[in-house]
Amino acid sequence: MAFFVRELFIKNNIRDYEALISRTLEGKHAYVTGDKLYGFLSHCKEIMPEIAKYKFVNIEEGSLDRRRAVYYLYPRVEGKDPDFIIDMAQLMIKKAKE
Amino acid sequence: MEIVALSGGIIALIFIGLNVLHMVMGSSKENRCLPLFPLETIFISYGIGLGFISLEMLIFYLFGVKFTVYGLLIPWVVLIAVNAIRYVAHRDKIVIETRTTESEERYKFLNIFLISGISLEAVYAFFRALIKPIESYDAVAIYAIKSKIFFIAKAIPETYFPILIHGFPHPDYPLNIPLSETFFYIAMGSLNDQLVKIIFPLFFLGILILLYYAIRRFASRTYALLFTFLLASIPHFNAYAANAYQELPLSFYYFSSALLLFSWIEDKKSLRPLVLSAIMVALAGWTKNEGLMYCAINTVLVLFFSMRTIRKDMTWKTLFAPIAYIVIVGLLLLPWIWIKHKFGIANDEINLANLNPVYLFNQIHKLVPIFYELQKQLFGPKKWILLWPVVIFAAALNYRKLFKGIRGYISVSIILAFLGYILFYMISYVDVVFFASKTWARFLLHFLPLLVLWLAYILKEDVKI
Repeated sequence: MAFFVRELFIKNNIRDYEALISRTLEGKHAYVTGDKLYGFLSHCKEIMPEIAKYKFVNIEEGSLDRRRAVYYLYPRVEGKDPDFIIDMAQLMIKKAKE
Repeated sequence: MEIVALSGGIIALIFIGLNVLHMVMGSSKENRCLPLFPLETIFISYGIGLGFISLEMLIFYLFGVKFTVYGLLIPWVVLIAVNAIRYVAHRDKIVIETRTTESEERYKFLNIFLISGISLEAVYAFFRALIKPIESYDAVAIYAIKSKIFFIAKAIPETYFPILIHGFPHPDYPLNIPLSETFFYIAMGSLNDQLVKIIFPLFFLGILILLYYAIRRFASRTYALLFTFLLASIPHFNAYAANAYQELPLSFYYFSSALLLFSWIEDKKSLRPLVLSAIMVALAGWTKNEGLMYCAINTVLVLFFSMRTIRKDMTWKTLFAPIAYIVIVGLLLLPWIWIKHKFGIANDEINLANLNPVYLFNQIHKLVPIFYELQKQLFGPKKWILLWPVVIFAAALNYRKLFKGIRGYISVSIILAFLGYILFYMISYVDVVFFASKTWARFLLHFLPLLVLWLAYILKEDVKI
């Protein structure tokens, strides 16, 4: 009982569950990633063709956001000779060679 | 529709696992060994099915074959046919335990309370796993990205091992769970990284079932429920049923291998439980690199037991047992080891070449942070409630029993696991304070079910229920 009280109310997981339960899979991805970042990554996916390479700037190498971004953007991959530059602090994407 | 496909995938895996189990454990009336309870049979089959389908996918890569549901399932028809012929010709089958609960229920209300508690914990684990898609760090960065790559290519792409793998963290981590996730994606026809998380609470439930029946073999129903509830209610254990990390699958494979090994040690009549133990521990090695350590621990125990009994019982079985164990583990892990060797895939945190006395002596200073972080785990109630203080107290009070009979083998397994992890830290290149603070809690999960079983053995004469 104490476990459930702690899990649901003290850790405030109930708020997450309430928000998640009615969402679609896409909505759940957005919720766990942060709506703003997920919206931006969806925008990047629309702009970049699947074979494109990109480079992140302004984000820590091992951060969770970076790892999630790599996951969501695949089959687009990070590369040394990128087609796109993704600024994760400004949430901006631009072509590498313009 | 996805839920139906997912359920179909799980049933197919259990059926494949059941056939492998039947191949190993199925025997005629004259040579029957280790009766398994029906739920035990289902969950062991689930673990085997998952491990064997992912090994099959790795072999498909070696032959350049693409993944399809039918393509992955059809080869198993041969095994099913062989089992059917064996059954028809010799009546070979798995022995199912039919023992029922004692008619006299002395602790009816306590049993109801414990069953309710275990059920609530299990339901919550499923809920917590399935409410969110895969989102935690390692689950996304190391495993889910790989299953996405395989699903999109409907294969392990040719460029995966030579090129692609180096763009993601920990290329050397085994692929059992990423490939199992891929199997479910292919079965569902979509990359539903929310439903695929059902893999993990099923392992959680499997561990609870195995623990319950392991205790049930030597104690009452209430006693078995009490310790199952103890394990189910450990917050850290429950949390890992939902985050798509590999700790509970590894824990399941190791725990089942240890149980089968101990039943062989106790029974000695047949090598079949030992063969199954070798399969399960090999699947532990195919799930996480730490599983290789458990392969070594089990092999040490088999060698030790064989050497002890060889003086009294010089039979081909005693001589053959350790060789068979090593060969089975080696054969199952061979494709993965060969691929790692071929493409030069190595662990970037640990170098086994450092496992020499001179290097270890120079790393002695690391013991301070290693033990400091360990004691923080053992005496911190947040993750483990009071489990570790109880374990230490029980061990101190019952020190004479610790190394008697089967308890001795469990004690040695746990001690070797502790020593193994300490060695990991010693030979690792990663900053030891960071590494130990991030990983001790996870490592302890790997042998936690065995620890609870050990506690149940130790306290058997003290707790009269």
